[in-house]
Amino acid sequence: MNLAVNSPWVLSGLLLALLPLFNNGMRPSPAPWLALIPDDALSVFIACGLRLCAMAVIAGLVLGMAGLHRTEQSRERIGHGAHIVLLLDRSSSMDNSFAGSAPNGADESKATAARRLLTDFVKQRQSDLIGVAEYSTAPLFVMPLTENKAAVQAAIAATATPALGFTHVGKGLGMALSLFEQPSVTGSRIVVLVSDGAAAIDHDSEQKLRLWFKQQQVRLYWIFLRTAGSPGIFDQPEDSRDDNAGAMPERYLHKFFLGLGSSYQAYEAESPDALKRAIADINQLENLPMHYVERIPKQDLSTLCYSVATLLLLILLGAKFCEIRR
Amino acid sequence: MSNPLKDYRTTCLLLATLAMAVLFIHPGRQQKTPTYNYTFIIDITRSMNVSDYRQDNQAVSRLEFVKHSLRELLRQLPCQSRVGLGLFTERRSTLLFEPLEVCSAYTEIDTAISKIDWRMAWAADSHIAKGLLSTLEMLQKSDSSVVFMTDGQEAPPLNPNYRTDFSTVKGHAKGIIIGVGGLQAVPIPKFDSQGKQTGFYAHDDVPHRSSFGQSNLDPSQIKGYNARNAPFGSEAAIGNEHLSALQETYLENLGTESGLDYTRLTDFKNLGKALRNPKLATEKMLLTDNRWQPALSALLLLSLVYMPKLYPYRRVIRH
Repeated sequence: MNLAVNSPWVLSGLLLALLPLFNNGMRPSPAPWLALIPDDALSVFIACGLRLCAMAVIAGLVLGMAGLHRTEQSRERIGHGAHIVLLLDRSSSMDNSFAGSAPNGADESKATAARRLLTDFVKQRQSDLIGVAEYSTAPLFVMPLTENKAAVQAAIAATATPALGFTHVGKGLGMALSLFEQPSVTGSRIVVLVSDGAAAIDHDSEQKLRLWFKQQQVRLYWIFLRTAGSPGIFDQPEDSRDDNAGAMPERYLHKFFLGLGSSYQAYEAESPDALKRAIADINQLENLPMHYVERIPKQDLSTLCYSVATLLLLILLGAKFCEIRR
Repeated sequence: MSNPLKDYRTTCLLLATLAMAVLFIHPGRQQKTPTYNYTFIIDITRSMNVSDYRQDNQAVSRLEFVKHSLRELLRQLPCQSRVGLGLFTERRSTLLFEPLEVCSAYTEIDTAISKIDWRMAWAADSHIAKGLLSTLEMLQKSDSSVVFMTDGQEAPPLNPNYRTDFSTVKGHAKGIIIGVGGLQAVPIPKFDSQGKQTGFYAHDDVPHRSSFGQSNLDPSQIKGYNARNAPFGSEAAIGNEHLSALQETYLENLGTESGLDYTRLTDFKNLGKALRNPKLATEKMLLTDNRWQPALSALLLLSLVYMPKLYPYRRVIRH
């Protein structure tokens, strides 16, 4: 039950609940000899009941004043969902539209489209734990894995501020994986990488990322927001001399992800609609059963205490009007 | 038969019931309570790594001390207050998340503050005036007060000819600049790419004057002046830019120009005091729980009914 009170010292008032044991609260009526009155089980029952009532009223009032409440509790449940880390690209090019120009009234920037659709995505994923990491030249830790959807929304909304610097995807992935550091739990672990470009990852980082992806059993979704005219993930080089990570970072990043050994899916989105489809797809795929902890917020019980006390008080008052004096 | 109303006990019970009726009809009063809405913008440039604060008898860096103070502060903010977080480096700041209600998102905000690291900086310069201006412009539309926490060390140094113009935001911005660091100039630690300290920045590691634009001095005074090739002269610059101290006068000036207050962070208490400034608070109407008042009167009335008799019921002996 985990009951608690706001001001424990008020509980000393519970001593007052003992008062009805010493005084029945009735008007005394004189009788010549008490032994003359016959034993009556019903009378004893009513008398005891009224005393208990009075004790309960006093206890109820004191508990209400002390601010009785049930503390925040967590309940383990099994539902459908996942542990999701959103890894968002904050490089400057995200502020351009899908056509590669500064956004005007008609089309929105890639960052705006991503923000709008991710907001909807988070809204739909009620039982998930979601964390947010961002990267540009350096990785940014934004929000730990949390069930607080308002917090995740606030982090996504904050990407409305102008973007920064360049794309350093390796460090960003490292940061995203570090969010899973807590001991292993059921349910799938997912990194959703939303970016509009790629960069070569150096050899050391590649090794580390391979290890971490394997250790943590993380599944990766890469939503590549492709700008018109720029090289895509699945493009084949026209000239074999261009077939290297420096010239075609997207293709090589994709190759690296494919070789990770963990489940990986790439989406190339060339418009907000394609982005929407990719997100809907992930939404459908990631519904494995998982244990999750549901938080039940603190419940105030003082109103209940006061109501019970009032009800019993009315009984006492009613009994008072039944008293007969001869 | 007699009237039960003549008994004081009945009167007490009636009054107690009345008190409970009051309790349910008027559970509390709408009262003005100050709540706060801050967006903390934290300087994560290199000079914030200088360890010139002491905490538990150990030297801690400026950034660590800022994080510690903010986490303490977070614990003491009243519910309904909101806290957002942003980082400053180079010449602008970025927002990590928009202001969140402190009681429902305490763990999230606390973790995010604890994870702030100087290595999150996406570029290495430290143009504080420009950063402050961009922050104020960015948050102009939000109703959050900006709390800009910095040591005021411009790196590279500013050219006084090109000052940042705050006239567009002055008067609209609400907030405070918190100066972080000691007044004594101390060396700035240097780290390698793995995050290990490899010593301190030396005199030759940093530029000691601005070499941008035109010099503010009279060309005839500059040795080796050449308008095209050496507008700042040929002499090597001397300076102490490799050492860092809190630039209080500079930050105070920035405060006056941008219409923000200035306070120095010395300990957690003075930070709390500065931030509780009524100028930064918004008064919200919150329902205060006054139910204990009628409940207490009901309790006293009931105790009166059941108060044990001080002397036992006297038998009337008739002869």
